[in-house]
Amino acid sequence: MAYSVLILDDDVDFNSLLTDIFEQADYIVTSLEDPVEAVEVFARTDYDLVVSDYKMPGMTGEEFMITIKKLKPEVPVIMVSGFLENDTIRSLIGGGVGGVFLKPLNIFSLLERTSELIEESRRCQQNDQPGQASTDSESAVDVEGDLDFTFRSFPCKAQASIDFAEHLYHLRNFISTLTLIGPVGTQFRLICEDIRNFYASEKEHFIYLSPNSFDSKQVLSLFDVAKRSGAERITWVLLDLESMGAEQKRLVTSLSKSSNEFESLDIPSRTIFCVSGDLDELYDAGRIDENLYILMGTAEIRVPSLHECAADVAILAQQMVVDIIKEKGLGSVARFDASAREFLSKYLWDHNYEQLRAVVREVMESNPGDVLTHAAVSAALQSGATASPRARFEAQLSRSRVDYVRAASILFGRDMAKVSAFLGTDVSVVEATLK
Amino acid sequence: MQQHRALILRSNRFLGSSLVNKGLLSSGDLEAANEKFMDAIQSPELLKSASILTTLLYDLKVLDEARLLEHIVDEHSIGLIDLDYIDIRPLPSTEIDLSLCWASSTIPFDKVDDTYMVASCYYLSAPVVKHWEESLEGKVVWYSTSMVSMSRGLERLEEVLAAEKIAAEEAAENE
Repeated sequence: MAYSVLILDDDVDFNSLLTDIFEQADYIVTSLEDPVEAVEVFARTDYDLVVSDYKMPGMTGEEFMITIKKLKPEVPVIMVSGFLENDTIRSLIGGGVGGVFLKPLNIFSLLERTSELIEESRRCQQNDQPGQASTDSESAVDVEGDLDFTFRSFPCKAQASIDFAEHLYHLRNFISTLTLIGPVGTQFRLICEDIRNFYASEKEHFIYLSPNSFDSKQVLSLFDVAKRSGAERITWVLLDLESMGAEQKRLVTSLSKSSNEFESLDIPSRTIFCVSGDLDELYDAGRIDENLYILMGTAEIRVPSLHECAADVAILAQQMVVDIIKEKGLGSVARFDASAREFLSKYLWDHNYEQLRAVVREVMESNPGDVLTHAAVSAALQSGATASPRARFEAQLSRSRVDYVRAASILFGRDMAKVSAFLGTDVSVVEATLK
Repeated sequence: MQQHRALILRSNRFLGSSLVNKGLLSSGDLEAANEKFMDAIQSPELLKSASILTTLLYDLKVLDEARLLEHIVDEHSIGLIDLDYIDIRPLPSTEIDLSLCWASSTIPFDKVDDTYMVASCYYLSAPVVKHWEESLEGKVVWYSTSMVSMSRGLERLEEVLAAEKIAAEEAAENE
């Protein structure tokens, strides 16, 4: 079911942004800019949650919250603000606020907390208890304010992801090259989108290149498109660098130096290298040549694995659910229950973000209803769809092997001796395969 | 020297990243140093002296060596040593690979019981520390030193080794 949210913010732009965020997450939104009007509307309408700005003319967010809590104490309130003193935050918590979020907002956290508060409020009402859920103690309040910038590729509830986000933000103005080194399955594209979002300018263009299609013709073509659309600087993002062929790697070096076939590119550019695995091991194995190895050493940053960011995993998974629901045009937002969230947080996720995404997609494919359980997640993990690429490839080869043996068996009239001679194996192996 | 090519690449790459991460160097300056370093390692004659540290200090003049040494001493609590005041001789129980010393700007200059005293300009480069600690079986007391001190130390060590070689050849002839 869709929940209703009242949004109060006198800043029209920010109000509009909040409205978009909540509407895209399938909430029914009433957005108001005047706190006095908001009190009147709140009094005659049933809302599941209120999101309010703190600094407003005529009435502070705290005064507004105290007023509406007198009317309907069971409705949770989230406060958003550009900056708040610790004393103010403590006062808000004492007054019963359910969450304090500092701008720029971490949208993942905001939506996650919204959902938790509504869930808790409903539970309390069902149990016929006072509606002060989650506001009784400071520990129950989600105070989001660790980052001074928007970051979406990780929810940044874990120290490893906070450190990573801050390091990345610190390096955002890198001049020529930046290397992202992550474990297999890292969400490099999302991370690069975060880097792009560090810049407000539309003239900062990011162009993604991957081994499937990367050649000089593609680069020059994409460059022309970017130039025509007003790009003033281009960031080339090279995905799966370790999987590129020798000629592609030579092009990477030329592109990052704007030399050889790329000398004519007349817009400032820089390069982000995305590499899965250990760079030294890749160099030792000859998958990264000397030029690239040194070129990639100018500014590098290691992306943490999901296992290092356990506190982020359930939130990431929930966001994936929201994305899938939007993609499929479904009506209500399914949620992971507590045991599923705990399981998601504790699982090792050998193939990181990509594996988590595959599992969530598998869970959603099974039409699980509004509550996503531990059992549904476990079942998805055990299905072939979420296996590692290597495991999937092995399974595919195994199936092909059986097909070849069957075909040979038909070809040689089920004469096992001929089939085994043809395939260069023992009769027992052929027989076992056919069984 | 070619046998140490991977160590040279790795140690210089790691040192550059460390200097940037510790705020001692800008990415742009490191990039310029890397360009020169890559040119140097393509030439067999220049490989021996290929070092981004030398480039940063003497060619580009963008790194303050005093600040670097101060940082190493403060942050890593290791000693500072001037090899000019040390009587450098090949350690009796150690087969010193001079090319490795050049490649890593590192000299083991003394030994007390089973512990080696090792001076290096590349202490911030983990591959260098790891390589030497493995080859000396982990019994190492590290010292930091300046590039000038290291260069002079390595030249003196070369002379000592050459003199010892001549003496050994003469002794063999006399026998």
